[in-house]
Amino acid sequence: MNTTQTLSAPPAPQPLTPPAKGPRKRGTLQASRLVAPATLALILIVFSVLSPVFFSVGNLVGILGQVALLALVAIGLTLVVRAGGIDLSIGVALDLGALASAWLINDGYRAWVAVVGGLLFALAVGLVNALLIVILKIPAFLATLSVWFVGTSVQQLLTGGGAPIYLSAPLVPDGFAVIGRGYFLNIDAAIINAVTIAVLVALLLGITRYGRKLTMAGEQPSAAKISGLRVNALIASAYLLCAVIAGFAGIVLAARSNGYVPGSGQAYLMDAIGAVFIGATISRYGRVSVGGTLIGVVIFGLLDNGLNLIGLSFFFQDLARGLVLLAILLAAVVLGRNQGQSSTGIFAQLRTAKKHISTTGKGNSNS
Amino acid sequence: MSSTLTPVSQDPVSAERSVRTRKPSFAAWIGYAGIAAVLLLFIFGSPYFLTASNILTILTQASVFGIAGVGLAIVIIAGGDDVLNGGIDLSTGAVAGLSGTVTALAAASGTPGFLAVLYGVLVATAIGIINGISVTLGLRPLLATLATMGVAASLELVFSQNLKIAVTGGFFEAARSSVFLGLPLAAWLMVLVGAVGWWVYSKTSWGVNSYAVGQNPTAARVAGLDPRKYRLVSYVLSSALAGIAGTLLVARLSAAVPGIGTQILLDIILVAYMSMIFSRRRLVSVVGTILAAIFVAALDNGLTLLGVASQWVGAAKGLLILLVLASVTLRGRNNR
Repeated sequence: MNTTQTLSAPPAPQPLTPPAKGPRKRGTLQASRLVAPATLALILIVFSVLSPVFFSVGNLVGILGQVALLALVAIGLTLVVRAGGIDLSIGVALDLGALASAWLINDGYRAWVAVVGGLLFALAVGLVNALLIVILKIPAFLATLSVWFVGTSVQQLLTGGGAPIYLSAPLVPDGFAVIGRGYFLNIDAAIINAVTIAVLVALLLGITRYGRKLTMAGEQPSAAKISGLRVNALIASAYLLCAVIAGFAGIVLAARSNGYVPGSGQAYLMDAIGAVFIGATISRYGRVSVGGTLIGVVIFGLLDNGLNLIGLSFFFQDLARGLVLLAILLAAVVLGRNQGQSSTGIFAQLRTAKKHISTTGKGNSNS
Repeated sequence: MSSTLTPVSQDPVSAERSVRTRKPSFAAWIGYAGIAAVLLLFIFGSPYFLTASNILTILTQASVFGIAGVGLAIVIIAGGDDVLNGGIDLSTGAVAGLSGTVTALAAASGTPGFLAVLYGVLVATAIGIINGISVTLGLRPLLATLATMGVAASLELVFSQNLKIAVTGGFFEAARSSVFLGLPLAAWLMVLVGAVGWWVYSKTSWGVNSYAVGQNPTAARVAGLDPRKYRLVSYVLSSALAGIAGTLLVARLSAAVPGIGTQILLDIILVAYMSMIFSRRRLVSVVGTILAAIFVAALDNGLTLLGVASQWVGAAKGLLILLVLASVTLRGRNNR
């Protein structure tokens, strides 16, 4: 092993590359950051050509109403991913929120009791996640995966084997129905809820001290710990907030559909993960953000709706979704590779890793 | 970390043994104790649990998860066990379903059984190549395989039109019911995959290099290894093994059932990660995956024999992963 040769190889290109990429970084926008918005525009144009009704105000607003729930779930997930984790149990939090609120309404409680009850049930999921991840130090993916298993069983046990709860219309108080089906200034209440939460979380992450701390704790946990941040509390808070937002989505779902069907929340999981990471491509640092997540959510919504309008079979929808997700992410990675970028964030790390590979590859071939 | 890299030329077993001589902590045994307690419960709880035919049933049930789990274990070995940035293959269940559907369709249209299986495995391998190339281009494995999972699941629906495709014919009946030296064919296949996987990933330089690349990519790169090579191959192998598992499932059920891929994904992930508890250094291993597959199949089987309602089985599995992972993390803390 010619370790001296290979060891000296990686640092060599580093003084060379920064000046080369310095001026390029300042003025121009990286092409990789435009991939998601360009895809959004492309989808809009293609379906507008293919279907006459697609690009009408009614249809577009309808799409927004349909993706409002996915948007809520994805915004919750954005918080957790920003804190460096992942939450696969987000559908369980949604389901339990819907279950508790539908239950309470069914038992004749007032609307606010149902809402608070739903949020508390969802909060329990977040507490379990936080306990497992922060205190027991179980990897987030596996901890939340097992919460998903357990949560699915818990739902079946609570509903006597998975019986849905249907709320008869006269039973539902107006204060509850308005959360999911109300209209304010002719705008669907689900959209208003999603936008409100989106703005709140965007402000929380963007301008508050808490948001900056959370980002630090997620991207540089050891540095954050050394500089005196309570990393564990921050990460735990992200899982709690995520569960509460997902629980709120569940309440909206219960109010919208007048009932609760077990296991309906997990359907949002894969789209939410996809949307969050599509959103990460628009950031210079490969960082997830609420705005980016919403772009991802809308891409999925437009795609589903457009495919329905042009009459493509339901079977092809996942195919289109998977291909679009793969194409966006691949394009972002490939385009971003040649450009200079800051050294933080997922994509940037991957790029620097790749430079190292190429240099060591050369060093090895000499031997 | 350096300890995994320095003995590149040695075999890893000796390195493991030096750790093994350390006095094990109490926490290290929670995982094993849990498994033993569960098995004892089944043995005393049901007179049928320990009969020969039931054990063969368990082995047959374990074969699907075991074979696909070995593929996922290989991905985790070469990609690292950090799930968010490391190796993971979410498409494995959907690929197994797709491969089964392709096999069943080919068999239904008159293709000979062996060729039909080959088609299924080839389609699966193609998805694996997409996964591998995406990951080596720099995509996160979690996202790349999430996308291909959607693609594979959708292709399965497109091909099958969401209908069950029955499979008849001597080849599949033979694959289902033939018994060789007392073990069913599926169990032999699992043993074969386990043995070859164990040999490659514990005894050859390819395997040691894969572990090195997964555990500390930076150090591995400095040592002149190219992680992309090992990772690309790991994804192709994972999908090919998932494809084989899918055809086994078709042979066992006599039909390709749409949507089965997402159902078995969680079990495959469970089995691959559970292999950590059979390793002293909390590493994912091929043999551990096979053992975990047999245990999970025994758990399913035993809970059914005890008459436990199906909704508890999911909870039991979830709690089991938590128990295992908690014991693994506790052990890791004590050993450091």
